[in-house]
Amino acid sequence: MTNIKYIAVIVVTLLVTACSSDFLDQPPRGVLTGGTFPETAEDLRLATNGAYGALRIWQIATGGFPLLDIMSDDMTKGSAPDDGTAIAVYERFEHTAQEGSTDRWYKSLYQAIRRCNLVINRAEGIEMDQLEKDLLVAEARFLRAYFYGQLIRGYGDVPLVMVTDPPLDLTRTPVQTILDLVIVPDLEYGIAILPERSQQSSDIYGRATKGAARALLARIHVHYRDYAAAQPLLLDVIESQEYMLEPDYADVFTVANEHGVESIFEVGATPFTSIALGGNQFGNTQGVRGTPNRGWGFGRPAYPWILDMEGNEDPRLEPSILRVGEVIDGITVTGDSNTPDETVVDGQIVEIEVYNQKVWTPGTTTQESWGHNRRLIRYADVLLLAAECLARNGQSERATDLLNEVRMRARGGDDTVLPDVTGLQGDALVDAILEERHYELALESVRFWDLVRTDRAAEVLGPLGFLPNKNELFPIPQVEIDISEGRLTQNPGY
Amino acid sequence: MGVLRFVETIDRTLANMIMSLTLRRYYVIAFLSMFCLSGIAQSLTYTGQVVDSAGDDPLIGAAVTIAGTDIGTVTDVDGSFEIVADPGESLEVTYIGYRTQLLQLGIKTDLLISMEQDEQLIDEVVIIGYGTIKKSDLTGSVATVKNAELQKVPATNALNALQGKVAGLTVSSVGGAPGADPVIRLRGLTTLNSNNPIVVIDGVISDVSAMNAINSTDIESVEVLKDASATAIYGSRGAAGVILVTTNRGAAGENRISISVNQSFESVENPIDVMTGREFATYVNEINPGTYNPDLVPNTDWQSLVYQDFAPLTNASMSVSGGTEKAQYYLGLGYFGQSGLLPKSNLDRLTAKLNSSYKIGKYVKVGFDLSTAVSDQQNPPGVVNTLLRAHPINDPFLADGTTFAEVEGGNPLAAIEFNNSFSKRLRGLGNLYAQVDFTKHLSFKTSLQFDYNNTESKSFTPVFFVAPLQQNDMSALNVGSSINSTIIFENLLSYNREFGRHAFDVVAGYSTQDRENEFLTGSTRNLLREDPEFWYLDAGQDEFEVVNNGSSRSTMLSYLGRINYVLDGKYLATATFRRDGSSNFGRNNRWGNFPSFALGWNVHKEGFYPEDAFVEGLKVRSSWGLTGNERISPLAQYETINSGTNAVFGTGDILYPGATFGSGGNPDLRWEETRQFDIGAEFTMLEGRVLAEFDYYNKQTDDILVNLIPPGTAGLGPFVSLTYNAASVNNSGFEWNVSYRDNVGKWDYAVGFNGSTLRNNVTELGQSIGADSIIIAGDLGNGQQVSRTVVGQPIGFFFGYETDGVFQNPEELAAGPVAFGQTVGDLRFIDQNGDGRINQADRVQIGNSIPRLVYGFNFEVGRGSWSVNADIQGVAGNDIYNGKQAIRFALLNYEDKFNDRWTGEGSTNEHPQASVGGVNFTPSDYFIEDASYIRLRNLTLRYDLTENRLDRYGLNSASIFVRGTNLLTLTRFTGFSPDLGSGNVLDGVIDRGVYPNQRILSVGVDVTL
Repeated sequence: MTNIKYIAVIVVTLLVTACSSDFLDQPPRGVLTGGTFPETAEDLRLATNGAYGALRIWQIATGGFPLLDIMSDDMTKGSAPDDGTAIAVYERFEHTAQEGSTDRWYKSLYQAIRRCNLVINRAEGIEMDQLEKDLLVAEARFLRAYFYGQLIRGYGDVPLVMVTDPPLDLTRTPVQTILDLVIVPDLEYGIAILPERSQQSSDIYGRATKGAARALLARIHVHYRDYAAAQPLLLDVIESQEYMLEPDYADVFTVANEHGVESIFEVGATPFTSIALGGNQFGNTQGVRGTPNRGWGFGRPAYPWILDMEGNEDPRLEPSILRVGEVIDGITVTGDSNTPDETVVDGQIVEIEVYNQKVWTPGTTTQESWGHNRRLIRYADVLLLAAECLARNGQSERATDLLNEVRMRARGGDDTVLPDVTGLQGDALVDAILEERHYELALESVRFWDLVRTDRAAEVLGPLGFLPNKNELFPIPQVEIDISEGRLTQNPGY
Repeated sequence: MGVLRFVETIDRTLANMIMSLTLRRYYVIAFLSMFCLSGIAQSLTYTGQVVDSAGDDPLIGAAVTIAGTDIGTVTDVDGSFEIVADPGESLEVTYIGYRTQLLQLGIKTDLLISMEQDEQLIDEVVIIGYGTIKKSDLTGSVATVKNAELQKVPATNALNALQGKVAGLTVSSVGGAPGADPVIRLRGLTTLNSNNPIVVIDGVISDVSAMNAINSTDIESVEVLKDASATAIYGSRGAAGVILVTTNRGAAGENRISISVNQSFESVENPIDVMTGREFATYVNEINPGTYNPDLVPNTDWQSLVYQDFAPLTNASMSVSGGTEKAQYYLGLGYFGQSGLLPKSNLDRLTAKLNSSYKIGKYVKVGFDLSTAVSDQQNPPGVVNTLLRAHPINDPFLADGTTFAEVEGGNPLAAIEFNNSFSKRLRGLGNLYAQVDFTKHLSFKTSLQFDYNNTESKSFTPVFFVAPLQQNDMSALNVGSSINSTIIFENLLSYNREFGRHAFDVVAGYSTQDRENEFLTGSTRNLLREDPEFWYLDAGQDEFEVVNNGSSRSTMLSYLGRINYVLDGKYLATATFRRDGSSNFGRNNRWGNFPSFALGWNVHKEGFYPEDAFVEGLKVRSSWGLTGNERISPLAQYETINSGTNAVFGTGDILYPGATFGSGGNPDLRWEETRQFDIGAEFTMLEGRVLAEFDYYNKQTDDILVNLIPPGTAGLGPFVSLTYNAASVNNSGFEWNVSYRDNVGKWDYAVGFNGSTLRNNVTELGQSIGADSIIIAGDLGNGQQVSRTVVGQPIGFFFGYETDGVFQNPEELAAGPVAFGQTVGDLRFIDQNGDGRINQADRVQIGNSIPRLVYGFNFEVGRGSWSVNADIQGVAGNDIYNGKQAIRFALLNYEDKFNDRWTGEGSTNEHPQASVGGVNFTPSDYFIEDASYIRLRNLTLRYDLTENRLDRYGLNSASIFVRGTNLLTLTRFTGFSPDLGSGNVLDGVIDRGVYPNQRILSVGVDVTL
């Protein structure tokens, strides 16, 4: 009998323990799970900030390295000759679909777009102040348009994703469709909803504005040669009187002038070597290599461009470049012992050790170089784009005025250089404006697309290896084509 | 007498159940008391000796009890005993492997009890999941490896010694760093995830790493469960096989002290030759003429500056064991110290092993088993690749001889100097159990088990400046602590009974498992001082302090059962079933059922089987069953939203908190399922001198959980993959294990040969998710991905261009086809599709890293006290991608094969011309190396003290040995060691530059008191 009692106890124990099916529910700890966020007003604010955070992902800048500049005639690969040879292929236009940067850039752009879609798609169901909600959605849509603008200019037709869980069998959507369905409506929404910069308090500078939306949309229209659509947007920015040129060109990129009067869209960053703490490795990637140790030194101002600027006695040259031996903010730039001070081929200097001053932040360590605020759109760009549209639309006089406004600031009060442009019209004026962009906006990832959109890339970059009908676009990453089982096609020539 | 015979039969059956033998014996005694009359008489003191009937050898530790009571004793080292009993009472004498004797006591008080070996009882007992079984009743494929084999390879993880010992089992390494876990593969690659078998240590389910907590001298045996009949009782964890580890236990009356000390010396097994300074300068000059003067450049051999020769390794252990019929214990203490081939990579470990059991009253036995290890390790500085690539034309120091000089590719000596990285681990596995025997057929065992693993890590980088690319301008500290704990609560009912010709052995139970992980990490910079006393977060600056803390928990609920049925000792049948529920899967896919069935036939026991057959013993067996795999991150089903994706706004660069998508998840995940079929036969020949076992297996795994790179449009970002049930893999092959043991005069010898073939084939991939019929892996870190997994091929084969020599002259180049940028002297790629162009479409399978054949030979020769033992093992039919040469971020040193480069027409058709990187470094078969090898794994010369001497010194046994491990390896592979494994099967095996494997010389002494 005793045994039977024992057995009964055991059987009961077995059954009781077995019934606890809750035991198998173990939700993750310390993190929210997808589908449960954002749910509140505060969530939506967090999610929007998360989308802004994508601007500081290292790979979001052409896969991490300033490839758009390296592929242009105002920058070379930089760094020590033996370092980063994997990206040297871009300098010579020998890159293939297998090279990692093209994959990193592509994937991080879609990652950023997904963060935007999270805000845009889920805002509907959140109870909160409608004005604030609209504003947050407008910001996310602005960012989405920015990222799509990078995608289509970089890769051409790309899959269109407007949800956070897209199907796996997407194919490439024509650029025009992406413009019509996403970029243009997103930015028009932004223009309608977003505040002007003057309506923002200074502690939120860097959030999207009406002016930024106009400038961005205009930039994309210009890329696709829709000057008629771009011109009014640019003139609106100018006429809003929200922005002006920094009186001194040398102040445009300084830490002291972050979110300055000329800055239309800028990515804030703090001097920490951690993206979570607010750092951005963009400046570090291009920072002075060697002494002081500010970074890897990728992206070297091209020597021919420097000679060009010297020939023009352009005062913008020195604020744009850091030479070896130069003293800046009390710090002497000694540079890198593995990088030749001068690279000579056939008796000709082809490259000198020099760095991009536009990413300089004061300091002697790598730490501070993470605090560089990228200026993505600035007023001088808007003025020159406006001038170009006006010139192309036959309004030479006003175009010339805008061009000369930029040149006057560049002159820095030295009337012996950079005289006003006068008497030009049509293509000649457009040429002068584009040349001005080459000097004013060098090293700012603008030049390559300027050459591509004006069909000058073959002429200017041909000697460097540029192949027309191929190198206008990056290759679709081979991995993407492979895993799509060929649903995604490759760009011509790759 | 009929009753007594019945009792004897029962007892014989019970005697096989090793784990509860003692306990049951008492039960039988009690049972017997009901039938035995006890006389009323004066008590007498009986003395006697228990001996083996065959050789008259004394039997030590035989149990002598007065039948019907629990009064008893055990025999001493002479087999003698002394007991007080009444004449008319019966003495019962039991000893494992012998027939139990019942002896009616009379007035003769001086007894000689001769015990007969029981043929049935001597049958080897095999440990299986949740029980034991006689080898002859076994229907599954199980291999046993005894203690002595496990000590042959000095390592923290005794499983390293299994290589070449078990057919179907492959042991490789991810490098020779002290404390590194071996990579273990049983019968191929069952899944694309972790293929390590589970390791069950004294009943506690754990993993390969848990073996680091046990000193090899504390292990009694290791059983490898291979087929589904054996593994399905472990259900969702059995698919990759199960390794059961049984540790030493004390035996009643055998009080023993064992001491073992081994001293070993390690050196790099196979150094990798790189270019000398002169060779390198000449090479560079061919790329950039006039760069160096090869006659004047220095020559630094970085590897010889850094790798230690004859680095010491010490393994010392001591154990005490013994006990009485009521309580037994085993206590083992061990020290393992390894200084490592690289400076600052030393490991020290202390282990303690306690196994104890106590009998409480007549029905209950309780026990506690504990394995613990404390280890302290310096994590090796990551300089292996730097040593291969640093420019040999740079001196390590400036002219002053002490200041580190700038070295292209990094100064390895400085890297070591400024590396301070430590790990401390505490691992404990325990099992507290109680067993109740209700009747002699039915028992219940409940156990509470734990597996606790605490790792504390610390690394500190001081401020230093060697070169612009090798400097740290602010001191940095990282600390971390993580705790992994598993608690298992297990309840088993066991029933076994014979009804005439029928024997049943049934086990049923349930178990719950609760796994928890929590980590806390912190980092800071700019510490107040650089001394170790300041290596704490408090010494850093608050603004740099980053702290992370997270946790995960996963749970499992299981029901299990097994029926073993034997008819006439000839016909065997086994059925097992397990039902597992796991929190790692969503509600709809949470439960999985894992059955197995097996049949066996002892052919030689049939009446028709000729008695004088050449094959004396013949058993055939076959099994089929289903096992699973649930080893995925508990988070894999969840898409997470992470905080910390912040924004920076405002003129003061203010940080605004943000949150967004973190890692991706797949809520539809379900179990992987492996169906395995096995058919095998076991033979005995030449009066037991030849033992042979053959198996064929076929394993089909479906719904494999696989991490696929989702399309970029999924928005998970670069370097991210997601888990899907999206693949099927088939593994099949033959296994054999043949041994022969004999003697010629005084010479004893034994030879063994085991091996297995393997065919691995992916049968489905990605169709179920509508994308991705290809997995691309094998990232070399330079943008090249060289491995693929597709249907119809083995997992993780290498993919790239096939080469066909070198373009010798402009005519050949002009004839093409040519890949972009190729010139004379470059590798010629084969135009596979014949379209006249070399492009991505011309890439093909260029290698495969899964061996087709794995084998081991074992030899042993002995004469008197001397014996020599040699183990040879090898693999064949596999390749390794030499990633460490393919990765070219810059102009860095080359392996010396590049000395044979193309230098002009006709110079070579094998190696391309000198180049920094570029087209010759495109993934191609130029980087594929045949990794087949045959190796003298172990050569041991041992001397055992003769009995005369043992007696003189009062020792039980004593031996001394010298041993060489990895003495000789024949291979065409050029890396440190061809037995390289891969943590990620999708990568194949890529040599990205790993800590070298060792050649070890050892001397050792083993003494038992």
